[in-house]
Amino acid sequence: MFQSLEWRNEKLSYLAVKICLAVDITLSLKAFRLFFNHEQIRTMSRVKRRTTHPPYWHVLKNNQRTDEKISSDNLRFVQEVIQDKYKNKSPIKGSDLDIEKTEWDPKTKRSGVIARNIGVQHMWEKDGKKVICTVLHVLDNHVIRYVPPEEYAKSVIGAKMFKNRKPLGCLVVGAEASNPERFTRQYCSLFDEVGLLPKKRLARFIVTPNAALPPCTPLTAGHFVIGQAVDVYGKTIDYGFQGVVKRWGFKGGPASHGTTKFHRRGGTIGTGRDKARVWPGQKMPGHMGSERRFNRGLKIVRINMKYNIIYVKGTVPGPTNSIVQIFDTALPRRKFTEAPPHPTYFPPEDGTLPQEDIWDSSLHVFGSPSISV
Amino acid sequence: MLRRAVLQTFRQGLAQSFFKRYAVSLTETTVTHQPIETSDEAGERTVPTQKTGDESGNTVVVAPPEFRFIYPEFLPDPAMERRNRLREKLERMDMLQRRSVIEIPEFYTGSIMAVTVADANSPNKFARFVGICIQRGGSGLRAWFILRNVVDKQGVEILYEMYCPLIQKIEVLRLERRLDESLLYLRDALPEYSTFPMDMEPERRLNNSVVPINPLKVKLRPRPWLERWERQNLQGVEDLNLPQRFYDRAEKVAKPWEKYDLMLHYRKTIPAEEQEKIFAEVHSQLQQQELKRKLRRRRGSDNEY
Repeated sequence: MFQSLEWRNEKLSYLAVKICLAVDITLSLKAFRLFFNHEQIRTMSRVKRRTTHPPYWHVLKNNQRTDEKISSDNLRFVQEVIQDKYKNKSPIKGSDLDIEKTEWDPKTKRSGVIARNIGVQHMWEKDGKKVICTVLHVLDNHVIRYVPPEEYAKSVIGAKMFKNRKPLGCLVVGAEASNPERFTRQYCSLFDEVGLLPKKRLARFIVTPNAALPPCTPLTAGHFVIGQAVDVYGKTIDYGFQGVVKRWGFKGGPASHGTTKFHRRGGTIGTGRDKARVWPGQKMPGHMGSERRFNRGLKIVRINMKYNIIYVKGTVPGPTNSIVQIFDTALPRRKFTEAPPHPTYFPPEDGTLPQEDIWDSSLHVFGSPSISV
Repeated sequence: MLRRAVLQTFRQGLAQSFFKRYAVSLTETTVTHQPIETSDEAGERTVPTQKTGDESGNTVVVAPPEFRFIYPEFLPDPAMERRNRLREKLERMDMLQRRSVIEIPEFYTGSIMAVTVADANSPNKFARFVGICIQRGGSGLRAWFILRNVVDKQGVEILYEMYCPLIQKIEVLRLERRLDESLLYLRDALPEYSTFPMDMEPERRLNNSVVPINPLKVKLRPRPWLERWERQNLQGVEDLNLPQRFYDRAEKVAKPWEKYDLMLHYRKTIPAEEQEKIFAEVHSQLQQQELKRKLRRRRGSDNEY
């Protein structure tokens, strides 16, 4: 009985501790609401958002020497060399590339695509509702190289990304071929293996090994499926140095009624009481914009195969004519249920042309009769 | 006004270049290109497509210059930050597709129009509204116009998007122009200037080649007004009869140097060469559509008899 009492006491004390802890937690939660938790609020405004220099392992990209005094003969020779080096390559068919026939499964991560945001077009749904669609022009994407998972996990970024996870492979994709004369030799050498004209923009896409693509594979708008959800990465519009009203949405002060020099200012920056200093992360004027952002879950409503154009419902970070990257969505409830073009889209072997303009079923096609409700 | 004169010379330049190319029918073109005319947009509708010879001997198709005024929404927004040739081209293709289904007639600010729209809340599922066009704007598929009418002593304005698929029919009941590009002052005018019967019949034009200008001067209600009309150099309004201090303040606030600012006007318009290219791209399809509609109308009228 004594033992049972002791046991009961222990149990009770254990329960009491539990209850106490619970009470503690609720008390502290209330405390969170009672006292302004500066740390939580100010965490994101303290994160270093951008750098203006590329990482140290990147090679120098743009040609630094501007006024080289070469004779016109030598200039012509240089152009001839370029022509010879990058002689016309015929478009690669699916059969030419040695792609392993891999199966698609729901855990596959496919490659993404580099595109240019060329503006916004208004379209209408079948019930007459207007929809703002962003027009994305898929540039001339080519796979530059594939880095297998073991090798990628050894790189700086790969090690960070796959610290406690199973490593995935990395596809380096380039877009927008341009004149080799504007780039340095080291940058052009990145494309020598593939034999492609150097690309203005490079991007890395994390892929599962079964979605790996051989170098020189073209990626087009057909890589995506109508109705699928995509994530678009872009750098937001650069607003420059902005005040507190535009940058953080402060209300400022009254416009009139005798206000002296307090129309768009921040006002108080601290209490003066607890901590007695300005908290790190205090919202103040500064550089606004030009930040990495993802717009997730945007639905593809129309694909134009002829011009390589994707119309996406909604807006995309960044100004018009800026480069963005498009991925299959990461949102769990909008992922693929059926197999998409895996690992990427190739035009059919028998030479039949695909449908030029593919529309989503919810959109009103412009050539069809007017909507009658 | 010199500002108007600057615009006139810009347009005259375009007209003169057209004149040089089409030197064959002198008599037709001299009528339209007189410098004294204030109705600078009055062009001949009967002028067909011109085909000119290049130095290389290839024919270059050039759209008639009136296209700039009949189809102004084909010209893109001049703001350079948002321009992209490929997107504009795709948008024009979509616009032509829509135009193949519905006829969007030529109209100007001051024309009286009737628009039939599919409306779920209407008894017969279609709503028809008649009104005078007081403003038009937008470019591409976003093009819009506002119709104003006074219904049961209540002024009503409706903004219609020209390429919205809910629109079933756009009719122009009276095609004319006014002395101003924007008739927003009708909101402060006496209601009789904005009242039009809902069952108005389309009026036949006597002279098909020239769009008439209605030189009507509208009487405004007594102040207060929605805008400071005395600062806007309105031609279509009767003498405002305001105290002199209003006109003095208007002079102080005015920007008379803007009429000399060539870059300002350049940035607000699409260059003439680009306009030619754009209209050359679309005009063959537009002409085909018009021909089809004319044939349909003729066949329809023949079937009546």
